Amino acid sequence: MLGEHQDSSTGAVVKILLSFDIDGTLELGDPPGGVTIEMVRRAHERGYLVGSCSDKPLSSQRAIWKEIDIEPVFVASKHQLGDVRARVEADAYYHMGDRDTDFQVAQEHDFGFWWAHEAIAEPWLSLGTEG
Amino acid sequence: MAMETKWERNSDPVGIWEHRGKVALVGRGHSTTDRRWDGVNLDQTLGAYSMVAARNAMEDAGISPDDVDGVITSPGGQPRHGRFGAGWAPRPYFDPPYDTEDGLTYVTAEWFARQLGLKNVKYLNSHGETLWNLIGLAAQAVGDGRCEVCLVPYPNGNLEGRYHQTEGLEAGGPAQWSLPWGWGLSGQGFIFDQYCRKYGTNHDRMAPFVVQERKNGLLWPHSYYALHEPEPFTEEDYVNGRSIARGLSIFDCDRPVQAAACYVVTTAERARDMKQKPVYFLDHTEGAFTPRSLVQTLDESEEWSDILAQRAYAGSGLRPDDIDLFSPYDGFAINAQYFLEAFGWRGVKRGEAHDFYAGDISLQGPNPLNAGGGNMGTGRMRTAFITDSMEQLQGRAGPRQVGIKAEVAVTIGVLPGNACSLVFSTSPD
Repeated sequence: MLGEHQDSSTGAVVKILLSFDIDGTLELGDPPGGVTIEMVRRAHERGYLVGSCSDKPLSSQRAIWKEIDIEPVFVASKHQLGDVRARVEADAYYHMGDRDTDFQVAQEHDFGFWWAHEAIAEPWLSLGTEG
Repeated sequence: MAMETKWERNSDPVGIWEHRGKVALVGRGHSTTDRRWDGVNLDQTLGAYSMVAARNAMEDAGISPDDVDGVITSPGGQPRHGRFGAGWAPRPYFDPPYDTEDGLTYVTAEWFARQLGLKNVKYLNSHGETLWNLIGLAAQAVGDGRCEVCLVPYPNGNLEGRYHQTEGLEAGGPAQWSLPWGWGLSGQGFIFDQYCRKYGTNHDRMAPFVVQERKNGLLWPHSYYALHEPEPFTEEDYVNGRSIARGLSIFDCDRPVQAAACYVVTTAERARDMKQKPVYFLDHTEGAFTPRSLVQTLDESEEWSDILAQRAYAGSGLRPDDIDLFSPYDGFAINAQYFLEAFGWRGVKRGEAHDFYAGDISLQGPNPLNAGGGNMGTGRMRTAFITDSMEQLQGRAGPRQVGIKAEVAVTIGVLPGNACSLVFSTSPD
């Protein structure tokens, strides 16, 4: 089912939401970041709930997702990360970005957080596989 | 190098401008628009773009470099002759002649004249400020006879890194009351908040204005948004924008860009021999004001914009009903309303701007406010205000051409605390 993946250590099915900042984080951003479209596509194909939370207008965010042919579970303005949590049911919520604003909104709404330079290692792929 | 003193018309009563109808805008040229300069590519510096814009402007006016006898520039496009270079430099310089910021992150008249090979220049002035003041200075200089055919380049740059960052662990003196809350001009949100409480309105009611401006701006071929973000901007986008400060959304703030424009200003007599229909200056007036306290208030914004409007009407001899096109600066979108209400364009009074925005302000409607799209529609080029006014009056604004009569245009910028208004007409009378 969309958004579910199996934790390889416990076998439990978990839903993990990944929220991507765009500018400075995704390769399609301005400035471009290190998280590639391929990484996003991989996450999507593996059942993660992907969407964007950015200062770009909502229309622009939707246009980007359409350009890469992925249907996002959500698009939101950066201050609306809490709304994302309220709207989308998941077992874990993560946001990634390059600015203090990204870190602050993630903290404020109890999202896990990766800086953009950490995100290029695709840390979500190993969630649930540690220890 | 000349530095004019006392050229500004900022003392009351200003009186009718002595050169009313005797100076004209006859050419304009633009470079392309980038988000920022990468610090490497020498074809995308402010100098390079200024030269592209100048060649386009000369071609537009039908003149050659040998016709030019004056250059007035605002090296960094900022108030008080500010430049961006100082903020980012020192940098590892390139080989000569690029071993200076001149031509890279700012453009002096001397550099400009030398690079373009202007052999007959007798007047050089690199002390222009923001665009409206620069154009006003050029009109006064030509009117005063300092030169006859003046090139007026306006470079406006954006470099790598973040914009307007004030680094430091301490904020001393008056700055202690403002800097901890972010860049000083985010206090514009404070004024807007006062406005909303005084007149019973709210921020969401700005949406139609900003949305229409983006629509207009997408009709420019060199607009930042037409080139880089061509998707429509909706009211949903605007009302969902993140607040920078209370009363100020991220979508009230213009997008810094790297671009240049150039204008040709000449006498009304010389204008008759040039390619385009002349656009006559009826007036330029200026104002610079200081807040009474540490933070500018709504009362001050309204008082200052009232004074600026009164000067423009006194200097040009016009009344609100005479103005066909009105283009107030929107570098923060929430500032345009103070000018709109002060000038009383279309009878808009204090507190009525948002009602006006909710009406028909489209290009083909009766009230095409900021037909050029402003900065909200084109990026922080600023030049849309001048070029659109010019092209509308000349009937060559293409898809942006308004449906109403376009014979008199007024534009004013930048902020109520420091602005110049320009009055243009198809007739010198």
